[in-house]
Amino acid sequence: MIYLDNAATTKPDEESFLKAREFLTEKFYNPSAVYREGHALQSELKKARSALLSGVASEADFELVFTSCGTESDNQAVFGFARRGNAVTTAGEHSAVATAFLELKNRGICEPRFAPLKKDGSVDEQALLSLVDEKTSFVSVIHVNNETGSVNDINALAKAVKKKNPRAIFHSDGVQAYGKIPFRLVKEVDLYSVSAHKIGGLKGVGALIKRKTLVLPAYIIGGGQENGRRSGTENTFGIKQFEYAAIKKFASMKADYERVLSYRETFFKSLDRGIYTRLSPENGSPYILSVAAKGLRGEVLLHMANDKGLIVGTGSACSSNSKNRYSRVILACGHDEQTADGVLRISFSPETTEEEIEKGAEILNEVGRDLARRMK
Amino acid sequence: MNKVIIIRYAEIWLKGKNRGYFERMFETNLKAALKGIDHKFVKQCGRYLIEEFAEYETEEIVERLKKVFGVHTLSLAYETDADMNSIFETAKLVCKEEGTFKVESHRGDKRYPKTSVEISRELGGMLLGAFYKLKVDVHNPDFIVRVDIRENGKALVFGEFIEGANGMPVGMAGKGLLLLSGGIDSPVAGYMMAKRGMRVDCLHFHSYPYTNEQAKEKVVELANILSQYTCGTNLYTVSVTHIQESIHEHCKAELMITLLRRFMYRIAERLALRKSAQCLITGESLGQVASQTIEGVTSSNSVVEKLPVLRPLIGFDKNEIIDRSVKMGAYETSILPFEDCCTVFLPDFPAIKPKLSDILAEESKLDVEGLIKEAFESLEKIEI
Repeated sequence: MIYLDNAATTKPDEESFLKAREFLTEKFYNPSAVYREGHALQSELKKARSALLSGVASEADFELVFTSCGTESDNQAVFGFARRGNAVTTAGEHSAVATAFLELKNRGICEPRFAPLKKDGSVDEQALLSLVDEKTSFVSVIHVNNETGSVNDINALAKAVKKKNPRAIFHSDGVQAYGKIPFRLVKEVDLYSVSAHKIGGLKGVGALIKRKTLVLPAYIIGGGQENGRRSGTENTFGIKQFEYAAIKKFASMKADYERVLSYRETFFKSLDRGIYTRLSPENGSPYILSVAAKGLRGEVLLHMANDKGLIVGTGSACSSNSKNRYSRVILACGHDEQTADGVLRISFSPETTEEEIEKGAEILNEVGRDLARRMK
Repeated sequence: MNKVIIIRYAEIWLKGKNRGYFERMFETNLKAALKGIDHKFVKQCGRYLIEEFAEYETEEIVERLKKVFGVHTLSLAYETDADMNSIFETAKLVCKEEGTFKVESHRGDKRYPKTSVEISRELGGMLLGAFYKLKVDVHNPDFIVRVDIRENGKALVFGEFIEGANGMPVGMAGKGLLLLSGGIDSPVAGYMMAKRGMRVDCLHFHSYPYTNEQAKEKVVELANILSQYTCGTNLYTVSVTHIQESIHEHCKAELMITLLRRFMYRIAERLALRKSAQCLITGESLGQVASQTIEGVTSSNSVVEKLPVLRPLIGFDKNEIIDRSVKMGAYETSILPFEDCCTVFLPDFPAIKPKLSDILAEESKLDVEGLIKEAFESLEKIEI
């Protein structure tokens, strides 16, 4: 099976898994315990924190709070800082932020504002800034869009937002960027969400990176772990495996980037232009290639490819409920419904081989032509 | 003092000399429904008792029994010693503190020193003394306290009746094959036939890759819900992808559904005969959609040669069907938005009154036998 849905989740890195296994077998203690064996795990968590943080930010200015997933990190940021007045985000957010913003309105917390996207899927910066005013408490901009791979220059946006309203808290969902896109956070970014399973870690492990001086309200309260910012017994095994996987990723990040970039371009070049048009921008994350087979249904292509041994993602759900049928992000990029219906998301990993790229494109061409013929 | 659940059956009483057969079937179904729960099953004349179960299982037992066809009413009763003081103490648990009431007594044990009228009168008096806001009204009481003197020196004390599913025990009336789509109607149609004692197997048509796994899971879930009433079921699935594609390629678009349904009925009849089902069951309701007009029904009916097609919902309004779907617990699942095969290749304007001559002309362009044979190759059986 050729797996090209790495933006959904990646195969856990086996080496990191084996290295971290002792935290399941021998070092299974509760890190909050005061006996030696338990307490010793605190320093292991500290090491993990430091390794995971240093890859994207300065340890002098930032710190890291472990959470259970990217969604939890996003929710903690949104509900921790969106206050009276308004909160601004983009139309290209992952549901973890987008739905949380709608909830702000439902709960009567504040007015959510959504900045439009440009055709390439990145946010229209001017429009975003024009939504920010003196009553804006919180701004959230996705770093790499999970459907199109479009990259937002969050450092520049954070600076511009702070210039307009220094009190606004700036958050970014970095789940599809962390460990993939060479980048370092500037101090104007207050919060940054990451997730382990997109870079060879496990599901159920995430983190929220925060500016050190920012007081982060707890979202889950209880035993006071993570300095009271996120209670719940730490997932030591998951965290250590995340650490080991991330260290490997950061070490090979630039080489991986180049390799995946060539994969994306080769893949797209091999696709039949009579069927597939490209939605992902050239300057987007090379890990994600979004294409549309206009007039055909993405999910049907997905099943057909699946039967031929290729796994890809889709941008739309096969649903007669038209409200949720089309990806809101693809529509927000200005594409029509027919295009949105035919979206396929191909997402790569450095572990993907060249043969898989070649064969994968071939399968997509085959099923695309087959379906076009059948639907004629 | 123990809790006991009383099960009363309804229509089986009417069944003259076959009663033993019906009762055995009913008992089997009741026992099957309570599988996995520790209890003692006691048969009495005209009713059953569930005894010796854990207190916390009470609701689960009642919920399960409510789904067994043939159950007329259930009562949650307390079992106590048959002396008047014990009966009185227990009756206080059942009796409300205010309102009008009466006591109804029944002696299974005719050696009991008091007649039922005496028991009622005495217990009524004791309850009036205990709750000063109570009043007796023997004609139109707000509630009734019931006492049943048993032959083992115990008495059952209980209040209200819980309405059961009624109908007849499943298994009495043969077996039917239900065309289960994934919508609201077909599970209700299966329910209605099971209510009259029919065993139900299900047949679902899908058109993978145009439909997905979620749509299939939804149908499995619906079959699961239905199986709680039908004492189990088998779910068969058949792919009609190629049939739809052939119709799409060769025939008029507005006849897609009509022609497809004819294929479905043919396949269903053949499967039913193979699996010894004695009829087809569909969820059609007259005029609900284009293919369920009398012309549409005629066109699909005309391909079924040997078996009757039962359409228990034919005269129902959508709202009535929805009410029943909600009641049987299928509605939430039925409205999940996953496509079943009918929405793929859906014409913009389906024919409302297809003429049989047109249909036959269009169908003659297709290799009907070949397509059916091919469809049968995709037959799968899913364990429910």
